[in-house]
Amino acid sequence: MSITRKNIPLYFLLLISIFVGCKKESPLNSSQVVIAIPSDIEGLNPLFSFSINEANINELLFLSLVKHTWDEKAGDLKTEPMLAKSWEWNSDSSSITLDLRNDVQWSDGVPLTIDDVIFSFDVYSDPAVESYLYGSFIPFYTEKDNHIIAEKTFEKLSDTKLKIFFVSGSSPSLFNLDFPLVPKHVFDKIPRKEITTAKESFNPVTSGPFMFEKWEKNQAIIIKENPKSFLHKDGNIGRIIFKVIPDYKARLTQLKNGEVDLAEYLKPEDVDELKKSDAFIVSSLKGREYDYLGWNNLDKEKFKKNKDITPNKLFGSAKVRQALSLALNRNEVIGSYLRGYGELASSPISPIFKNSVNESLIPYTFDLEKAKALLAEEGWKDKDRNGILEKNGEEFKFTLTISSNNPRRIFAATLFKNTIKQLGVEMNIEQVELGMLIDKINTKSADAWMASWIIPIPLDLKFSWYSNLATTPMNFPSYQNKELDALLDQLETKISKQQKNELYKKIETILFRDQPVTFLYWIDNIIAYNKKIENVEVTPLGTVHHCWLWR
Amino acid sequence: MLLFIKRAATSVLILFLTVSFLFVLVRIAPGDPSQKYLSPNLSPQLIEKVKSSFQLDKPISKQYISFLENAFSGDLGISYKYHRPVSEVISEVLPFTFFFSLSAFTIQFVGGLLLAFWAFHHHKKLLDKFLSSGSIFLYAVPSFVSGVFLIYLFSVQLKLFPSSGVKTVGSLEENFFLLAFDYLHHLFLPVVVLALTGLPVYFKYFRESFEENQQKLYTVYLRANGVSEKRIYLRHIIPNSLNSIIAYAGVDLGILFSGALITEVVFSLPGMGRLAVNAILGRDYPLIVGCTLTAGLLVILTNLIADLIRMKIDKRLVKGLLN
Repeated sequence: MSITRKNIPLYFLLLISIFVGCKKESPLNSSQVVIAIPSDIEGLNPLFSFSINEANINELLFLSLVKHTWDEKAGDLKTEPMLAKSWEWNSDSSSITLDLRNDVQWSDGVPLTIDDVIFSFDVYSDPAVESYLYGSFIPFYTEKDNHIIAEKTFEKLSDTKLKIFFVSGSSPSLFNLDFPLVPKHVFDKIPRKEITTAKESFNPVTSGPFMFEKWEKNQAIIIKENPKSFLHKDGNIGRIIFKVIPDYKARLTQLKNGEVDLAEYLKPEDVDELKKSDAFIVSSLKGREYDYLGWNNLDKEKFKKNKDITPNKLFGSAKVRQALSLALNRNEVIGSYLRGYGELASSPISPIFKNSVNESLIPYTFDLEKAKALLAEEGWKDKDRNGILEKNGEEFKFTLTISSNNPRRIFAATLFKNTIKQLGVEMNIEQVELGMLIDKINTKSADAWMASWIIPIPLDLKFSWYSNLATTPMNFPSYQNKELDALLDQLETKISKQQKNELYKKIETILFRDQPVTFLYWIDNIIAYNKKIENVEVTPLGTVHHCWLWR
Repeated sequence: MLLFIKRAATSVLILFLTVSFLFVLVRIAPGDPSQKYLSPNLSPQLIEKVKSSFQLDKPISKQYISFLENAFSGDLGISYKYHRPVSEVISEVLPFTFFFSLSAFTIQFVGGLLLAFWAFHHHKKLLDKFLSSGSIFLYAVPSFVSGVFLIYLFSVQLKLFPSSGVKTVGSLEENFFLLAFDYLHHLFLPVVVLALTGLPVYFKYFRESFEENQQKLYTVYLRANGVSEKRIYLRHIIPNSLNSIIAYAGVDLGILFSGALITEVVFSLPGMGRLAVNAILGRDYPLIVGCTLTAGLLVILTNLIADLIRMKIDKRLVKGLLN
């Protein structure tokens, strides 16, 4: 049969049928889970787990001394054994003795020993390595460059017993010991500065309940169960594929198609359709991320010129900030945009921290009259009746900078612009690329901005609210309050949990009163996963967490 | 040879200026690579340490001199994001990019030529009008719309093709033919989407060119001498039309090699477009410069090849191109 014009469609059909006929059976099976991730990881060395996906994968590949779970009732972390079978603090918590397992091997067959543990502390804190934990070993004995002094910190009591000493007066916790351990016999041979680029950082020797199988760059990371791990149980998930799907619509389509078993950060508008399907469980992770309206508390011109810290003419006053907090109808954003997948925020302390949160604080509610009165009290009046408030000859005008790729914030900013216009405040909205927004916030050159914080666990406030701008670069609004500083300093001293919780409540009251930023709403992370996966726990610590327990 | 030397010298100069300009531009633009270390979980000391090891605390002039020294020895630096040499990161995406772009380009070029030929054959008849209007419609449809539509139709509804990726994730490479089919099966839709954006352009180019050449005196002369229509088309009209189109195709192919961002994102493909854009968003300076250099080299190379083909077709062009 010759190829003629008439039978071209036939050839086309034949070609398609070959494609379809050759379509291999999907590799999905009951012991395998495919998790959608929006971007590829940068490496497989836990020393550089800078992104959440890297942290999630490395948690499965590398053992830690201890692990943490979320105690829903207490609203706090709970520490459980991992490599350390048990531990004992001394009377004043200046040292801890760990009893380690002796049945753990690295994936190349070499036993995991105390030397690996000491090496891990050493390499993580080494300035030459620039690990993600560099500068975080606060309660440990360190050199000026933050490098842990091994001789002062560790004492090998036996092959399985290790004593760790902390700086007296510091406030260490087991969370300081929860990070993935790295193999000494692999990384000791590599100059510290070169670890980041070494091939061992991309083809890892592991110790966790999963082993590295394959990394198809920009496509997928595949890990498989480690049958030798003490965490291994027959019948649990045997293989996890982290599939890179940058486009949101594509992630959603593949979830619906069954090509993906679990996806996070779903949009509220897609939930109803997903819930209609019997194939999925839709859940939401609450209280980890909040949106806020940031106010530059400083006069940006003076700060730029001489690093002078003088109050901003508009936002330097707490009353003005309170007025602005009253002028955004946040419930409308929660109802219309988040469709209920969010709740009002009154401070940076999430409601998940049940014992630390000050429940007596009632979030600011939309009240334009009260806002007007507060602005008038501060001297902002429309004397020339042009519709814009003035004070000392200056009109109340400013620019709100937001990221151009976030429809939620564009919606809220537009709503805000319209309502504060009724107060006599003129606001321009400037949409910029995310990197540019971060630059503006970081250099304190923005008047106001809208962004979000993902809150750290365990609770930490000093990184963003301490007045010293040199040591606290993430105090973006440049809020200054000595009273608050004193409370934050007290938190770092040796005090009981109850005392800490009382301090948190005081801190929250001050931040609520002063509104250095307007705390908007806690945003739920909406997750959908295939019903075939059992034992998934959606907690504030994440969903892709302790996956060796999944069945 | 003279042409080659002259073109090479100009190309090197253009590349040098482009890369130098970009080197400075990305550094004076707002933001820097240390932004990603601004996190509650990371210490402020780390940010300072990273800035210093990226040499961001040094003046741009010093950074530039250091870059030139390394670049002349073939070292484009280490990607901040991937922690690997820039050349290695780029070389990983190039084979896919070449295959993907060349496939789409071939469909665009050959498809455009055949459709134009077909339309011209039915000059001003219904089919001609339909193809002309259809090409405008196709040209107006952005690739993210056609991509999502084809995914919905062929992946979601008909389940004929996978919706993303270059191969079945996690599959084992059993044998070459199965693997090749797996790649083709995955790349069918993205190649069609990418080709659809350029196909109308080539169709229009060829169609207009046929029309123009058809009206030229040499065609009338050939017809008057009794030369057959087939010969007039194959030997005269098509070669003459090809000349200007090949010049455009050279630029087009170079741009395709530089990345087809939207198609790559919609279908989750590991190409140059995604690599370059992620480098820009992450302020990965060495990778941005590396991607620009590679894209520039490819555009220059494809243009050079296009000119050589044009000269082969029409010797009169040699003088013109030399000047």
